[in-house]
Amino acid sequence: MTLKLGRHEFADDATLMMAIVNRTPDSFYDKGATWAEESAFARVAQVVAEGAEIVDIGGIKAAPGVEIGPAEEMSRVVDFVARVRSSFPALVISVDTWRAPVGQAACEAGADVLNDAWGGADPELVDVAASYGAAIVCTHTGGVAPRTRPYRIEYDDVVASAVADTVAYAERAVAAGVPRSSVVIDPAHDFGKNTFHSLELTRRLGELVDTGWPVLVSLSNKDFVGETLDLPVGSRLTGTLAATAVCALAGARIYRVHEVVETRQVVDMVWTIAGRRPPSRAIRGLQ
Amino acid sequence: MLVPGVLALLPEYAGLVDPVAELRAACSTAVGWLCWAPEVTVIADEQGARVAAHLLEQARSLRVTCPSEADLRLMAGEGAAHLVVANGTARRSEKAPGYLDERAAGFDAALGTALRTPDPAALGGLDEELAADLLVGNPAGLRELAGLLTVEHRLVFDHDDDPFGVQYWVMGWQCES
Repeated sequence: MTLKLGRHEFADDATLMMAIVNRTPDSFYDKGATWAEESAFARVAQVVAEGAEIVDIGGIKAAPGVEIGPAEEMSRVVDFVARVRSSFPALVISVDTWRAPVGQAACEAGADVLNDAWGGADPELVDVAASYGAAIVCTHTGGVAPRTRPYRIEYDDVVASAVADTVAYAERAVAAGVPRSSVVIDPAHDFGKNTFHSLELTRRLGELVDTGWPVLVSLSNKDFVGETLDLPVGSRLTGTLAATAVCALAGARIYRVHEVVETRQVVDMVWTIAGRRPPSRAIRGLQ
Repeated sequence: MLVPGVLALLPEYAGLVDPVAELRAACSTAVGWLCWAPEVTVIADEQGARVAAHLLEQARSLRVTCPSEADLRLMAGEGAAHLVVANGTARRSEKAPGYLDERAAGFDAALGTALRTPDPAALGGLDEELAADLLVGNPAGLRELAGLLTVEHRLVFDHDDDPFGVQYWVMGWQCES
């Protein structure tokens, strides 16, 4: 099935890089590096040059912290979406929000995708996606409230829970009027999960792919990588890319990333090993 | 018609970018003429036969060139068309599959002249041992080609290149008599 992300369509074997662009002063990885609008815009230009098909613009960091209301979130995101829309018409613009009013304003400004990292916390977000022809990312959080850390959460089977919840969310989106071709699922590593959960989701990602919904993975520099290798933020790229390779082999389609170039190379390499993509240019031994 | 037995021409070895685009275009033009012949006899080793089959299949599916009487008499031999799959040495540079052999350039130059003239005697007298040393592609096919060409033949198509240290020729001849 063709993947339709707002105004843009992609073949059913395409892999896509979704570059993270934070309009926040306090996100865990960049620590406010793109808080200023010009810095954020420069980041967009950079990731476009690096080949990212999607930017994921977020106005609130995922971790707990200072309360950011809808008005403040919109002020961080909406005009910026409009600017990116007019400067990069071929770029898919995703907005990382769980709030329907923010999603609506972002879609008015030109967003193509609503990336709901918090698993449908605002039930009206799917209606916004439906009415604007936007795609929606349906994540699994285990039911936790937005911007909370996992605390002693356990699952009988975290993968079964991720499959059940994301598929249910996807069907809810379709029922609300979002086309099937515009629904993506994301097991949401580290959201409502400890490191063992995220590792198991990575190991068994194929079970999410088997649902038939296109799968997004957001692995970049996360704590499960850091805890696995005992490495701080800033030293997790190799671990991130290892997890990326495992997810690519399983068939993940969209990769939400800080490092576009490195991830694109890993995904292309694995996709080619899997026989889903030809080599770029092969002549060795074939002259 | 002569084409090289380059495996990169086969669809099973296709990449996103075609490393032999120029060669493919030349083969496509040359074999495009052949596909109008009532019958094409392929002279090739096992791998070369796969290349020939693919090029003929492609050409027949396209049939873009207009046939002329002359085209149909492209090769000697009772109107039958021949597709020979063979090439020169594979040791023309340090990056070549067989590494550099200083004898390769001279060998290919002499072979090229024998093909272009054409000089069936020189072509048929190809040094088999040296050809093997220099990794010539299907030398037996070149000897068979010598048996088909006469001094009455005139070269009508000539593509000459060695992009990977391997000598490629795409050549076609027409009998003037």
